Amino acid sequence: MQQFFTKSEQVHNIIKGFNLTKTLFVSSIIIGEEHIGKKLFVKHLFPDAPVVSGEDQGAVVDALREYDELIITDFEKLRNQESLELDNKRIIATASYIGNQTIIDDMFAFIYTLPSLKERPEDVEYIKALFIKEAASDLMLTNTNFDITAIPVNLTQNTKSLKSTIYRYLMIHSMSKNEIQDAVYSYVSEKLEGNNGYKEHLALYEKPLIEAGLKKFGSQLQLSQILGINRNTLRKKIHEHHID
Amino acid sequence: MNTTSTESENTIDFQSFLDWDNSPFILFNAAGKILYLNNAAEILFGYVSKKELYDLALAYAPHDFGYTTTTLALNYDAFTFYAITVGYENEDQISIRFYNAPRIKSNVPIERDKLVETNINLLLEANIVLFKTKNSNHLQLLTDHDIPTFKIDQNKFSKLLRKTLESFRSSDSIHITLKLLTGEHVIIAGKKKAIAQLRVEANGRYTDADEEIKNIAMHCHITHILKEKSIKLEIPLID
Repeated sequence: MQQFFTKSEQVHNIIKGFNLTKTLFVSSIIIGEEHIGKKLFVKHLFPDAPVVSGEDQGAVVDALREYDELIITDFEKLRNQESLELDNKRIIATASYIGNQTIIDDMFAFIYTLPSLKERPEDVEYIKALFIKEAASDLMLTNTNFDITAIPVNLTQNTKSLKSTIYRYLMIHSMSKNEIQDAVYSYVSEKLEGNNGYKEHLALYEKPLIEAGLKKFGSQLQLSQILGINRNTLRKKIHEHHID
Repeated sequence: MNTTSTESENTIDFQSFLDWDNSPFILFNAAGKILYLNNAAEILFGYVSKKELYDLALAYAPHDFGYTTTTLALNYDAFTFYAITVGYENEDQISIRFYNAPRIKSNVPIERDKLVETNINLLLEANIVLFKTKNSNHLQLLTDHDIPTFKIDQNKFSKLLRKTLESFRSSDSIHITLKLLTGEHVIIAGKKKAIAQLRVEANGRYTDADEEIKNIAMHCHITHILKEKSIKLEIPLID
């Protein structure tokens, strides 16, 4: 099972609070943005507690009847929250947002806010390294000698965007010539139509070629020499492909 | 201090009746020195100075020898009185007796099945941790770790602690004291219970949650004293 990791002082304080109330019959809720590890966090703290999702109202009601200790995920998706009887039980809920402040305030003794990844920069490097390792394994990369610092960090959707950016980056940077051709083949097979197909799809090759060339060689003059084309032709293509 | 004796021709000693009277009774001499005070008055002196009560006795003393009862609203911490009787029969002694205002009897029944044996220090510490995740105010805790465990609705009581601490969210310096109130008891469901007192004070506080605090406290049979800069909760140790 994946372990929850944090170096964030704020998260450590939340863990401390949970450890103090672990044996008590109190209801707690963790609120925080999507994809910040809320479920992993509560499962890490309460590994033996049954888990039920707020997406299934009936399952939550049944589980509350059956168990004294229960993890309810996606609490914001529950309807009629106020009708649930949480008293005298050890309830740990997670929610992406507070739907009704009064209800949450009334139902839960402990209301914690788990900071997003943007607010935990000290955790990002570790999680990034973890995802890179995971991606390298999933993608069965033979050459894992890549520059980690060059991999962009996208936290717009917390771990979701961070992870998908890493996977895409590694996929793109590990593709062989044949695989790139296969990718273009697949794309073109689907999109090719009309009577101007050559020109329309030329950008697939020319745009990245010129962009990468300009970044690598700096000037249009030098790039035109490298590409073996006329400088005016290069300038025209830069204009055509809207390259800055 | 319980030195006075009241003897009639039949040598009836009334002192113990006075000692154990629930209404505070104090006898001062002309210089304001205490000649006698009963047990209830002893507890009252934990919350108000001798001088203040002596001044009160002088202010409400009858014009001539004798006794006069004045109806007035007096409030010293958790003590509320609705009247006092001040009397003197000579120039040397003056007495004051306080009439306890009837406490509003809680209609909330004790739901024993919801009460769980609890270490109050654990709940308090967890709430302080929660408070610290949201606030960076300086906080000082003085607690008695020997307070015995007692039964309480952990969820409701935690909410009460959270609301209490949250009302100090913008305070500069917060002092929290948890202690047993020696010698004080409260009657819950006909039984005498010891009291733990939680006092939170600072240079000021928010009052937006006061009604909620009062409401939850009432449901937990906890006496609440909410002031401008402090909140005091007197928690019965239900066993």
